[in-house]
Amino acid sequence: MIGYALKELRKRKRKYLLNIMVIGLVVVLLITLNSLGVAFKEASRLPFENIHSSIIIQRNGNVPENTSGAVTPCSLAPIKGEFILQIGKIEGVKEVSYGLFLWVFDKDSFKRVLGMNWNDDRGKRIGSELIEGSLPQSDEDALVERAYAQQHGLKLNQKMRLSGTDFTVSGIVETTGKDILSSDLYVNLNSAQSLAYSSKNLQETEKFAKNDVNIIFVDSDQTRVKDVTGKLKTLLNPPTSSAGKTPTGQITGAYNIYTPESFESQISSLFLISDKLILVLSLVVLVGALLVIIKSMSHTLLERRKEFGIMKAVGFRSRDIRREITIETILQAIIGYCIGVALSLVAIFALAKTTVSIAIPWEMSPYPHFLTSNPNLIAPVQTYLFPIKFEAMYSVEVLIAILVLSLLTVSVLARYINGLKAMEVLRYE
Amino acid sequence: MNEIIIARNLSKTLGSVKAINAVSLDVKEGDFLVIQGSSGSGKTTLLSLLSGLDKADAGEIKFGGEDITSMNEDDLALFRRKNVGIVFQSYNLIPTLNVLENIALPLFPEGSSKEKMFERAKAAAESVGLSHRLNHYPNELSGGEQQRVGLARALINNPKVIFADEPTGNLDTETGQKMMNLFKSLNKQKGLTIVMVTHDDGLAKEADRLIKIKDGVVTNE
Repeated sequence: MIGYALKELRKRKRKYLLNIMVIGLVVVLLITLNSLGVAFKEASRLPFENIHSSIIIQRNGNVPENTSGAVTPCSLAPIKGEFILQIGKIEGVKEVSYGLFLWVFDKDSFKRVLGMNWNDDRGKRIGSELIEGSLPQSDEDALVERAYAQQHGLKLNQKMRLSGTDFTVSGIVETTGKDILSSDLYVNLNSAQSLAYSSKNLQETEKFAKNDVNIIFVDSDQTRVKDVTGKLKTLLNPPTSSAGKTPTGQITGAYNIYTPESFESQISSLFLISDKLILVLSLVVLVGALLVIIKSMSHTLLERRKEFGIMKAVGFRSRDIRREITIETILQAIIGYCIGVALSLVAIFALAKTTVSIAIPWEMSPYPHFLTSNPNLIAPVQTYLFPIKFEAMYSVEVLIAILVLSLLTVSVLARYINGLKAMEVLRYE
Repeated sequence: MNEIIIARNLSKTLGSVKAINAVSLDVKEGDFLVIQGSSGSGKTTLLSLLSGLDKADAGEIKFGGEDITSMNEDDLALFRRKNVGIVFQSYNLIPTLNVLENIALPLFPEGSSKEKMFERAKAAAESVGLSHRLNHYPNELSGGEQQRVGLARALINNPKVIFADEPTGNLDTETGQKMMNLFKSLNKQKGLTIVMVTHDDGLAKEADRLIKIKDGVVTNE
C-alpha cells in the first residue's frame, strides 16, 4: 500500500505539490513563530541574567524637592537595613548582596554613585571589571567607570569632590553595558550611606537611617525563586492604598520584587509579541491550512472518482481505500513537514545572525528621567545577538499537529469515500 | 454440475426505468453463459447484480450457497475480491499503475508481500500472454492488450466465476475473436465458470448457454 501511495504521489506530483507546499509553509510559520516567541522571551531575560541574581528588591519612593546633594532615585527609595538579615534567613536564599545607589547633584555636575560591599557577590563582580588601580582601601577611595573617567579627565589617585566630601580615584572599572545597574562611581557602602545620611535634601524626602540600603540582590535556588518571592512579599508588607504615587504611577513605599519572570513580562510587551498572539496566529495558520488541504484533497479525490470505483469493483472495501488515502495524506504531511523543517532551520540560522536591542524599563534605569540632555540614557538600550534557536521539542509537537491535521482531512473526506458505489461510478464515468 | 449462482425474482430500477424485472436464473459450475440483448435491455445491470457489483431492489441471489443480497457494501467488496473476477468493456485500468501493478491491484488490500503479489500477477499475466508488457502503462498498450490486463486482473484471485461485460465491445473483430478464444480456453481447460454479456450474435453462438434479455425480462434460454 505504501508503494502504491508513493507511486500515486510521484505520478500526480503536480496535484500534490500544493498540499505539500501548504504543509511546508505551515511548518515554517509554526516553528519560526514559536522560535521567535521563545527568542524574544529569552532576549528579554538577558539583561536580568547579566545581573547574575535570582531576585532584585527595590522600593518606590518620593521625588526629591530639588536637585541638590545626594538623593535616591524615586524607584530606589531607602530600604531598612534590618530587612537584610531577615531576608538572609528565608529558606531557599543562598546569598544576599545589597548596595546604595545615589544620584549626587553638585553645583557643576551630576554623578551616579553606587555604594558596595566588596566582599559580597555583587562587589566581587564589579571588582572583577577593574582595569586599572585597586579596589577602594578606605572610605575616601572611589572606583570610576572608564567612560566617565575619560569624559571628565579623571586619572588614578586624582582627588575629586562628591557632595562636599573628598574622594581619591583608586581604580578604573569598565562596567558599562555589562550590568543594568552600572554607575559612574563606586564607593564603599559606608561612604555612600554617610553621603545619604548627611544629605538634607534626601532626609527631607525620605527618612534615611545610617545602615539603610536601596537595592538588594537575592540569590536563591532556581527551583525556589517563586517560593522565595512569595515569602519576600509577606515580609515586605505592602503599603496602604492611600499612599501617593511615583511619576510612573507606582504606589509610593511599595516594594518591587523583580524576578526573571516579572522582568520578562514587563519587557516583553516591547516586542509586541506574546504567547496569546503566537497562539492565535498558530491557530489561524492551522485552520487556514486545514481548509486549503481539504479543498485540494477533495478536488483530487473527485478526479480519482473512477479509480476508486475500479478499486471497489475489484474488492477494495471503503476502509481499504480510506487506508490508502490516509497513507497518501500522511506521506504528503511528512514530506511537507521535512521541507518545512529544513526551511525553518535556514530561517532560524539567518535570524540568529541578527541582533536585538532591548530598552531597559525606566523603573530599572539608573539614570534620572528628567535629564533630557541625553535621552538615550534614560532607557539604556542593550544589544545582544538574537538568541533564536530551533526548538526540537516544539517541532515534534508541530509534526503531531500536522499529522492530526492530515487525519482530520481524511476523516472529513471519509464520508465521500464511503458513499462511493462501484457500479454507480463505473456506469456514469 | 452444481449451481454456483441461483437468482430468483431479481428486480432493479434505475431512475424511473425498471432495468431488471423479476428475473430468475441459475448458473452451474463450469458454465459458459452468455447474456445477450440490445443496448438498454438490462443485460449489464443483470451482470452487475449477479457479480455483486450492485444490489437488487428485490429478489435473492445465492452465490455458492451464500445470500449476497443481504450483504452491505463492504461485505460485497470482500465477496467480490474472494469469489469473482470482473472484466469491463472499457478495461477500467488505473492509468498511474503499470501492467503488473494493475493485475495485482485486487491483492493490495490483503497486505501480502510485494514479492508474493507480483509473483501471482506475473503468473496471471503469463496466462493471458502479457509477460513481455509487465512494466508498461495502460496508455502504452493496445485495446486488446488492455483487455488482457483486465482479464489477468480478474483471474488473479482464482475466482469461482468470471463476469465479462462486453469484453470485445471496444476491440476489432480479429482481436475480439482472440479475446473470445481466451475466455473459451479458460472455460474448457481450467473449468472456469464464465458469465458474459454481449450484443454480438457471432460471439453469442460460441457460448454453451445463451440467455436473451429484453426490457429487463429474460425472453428465452
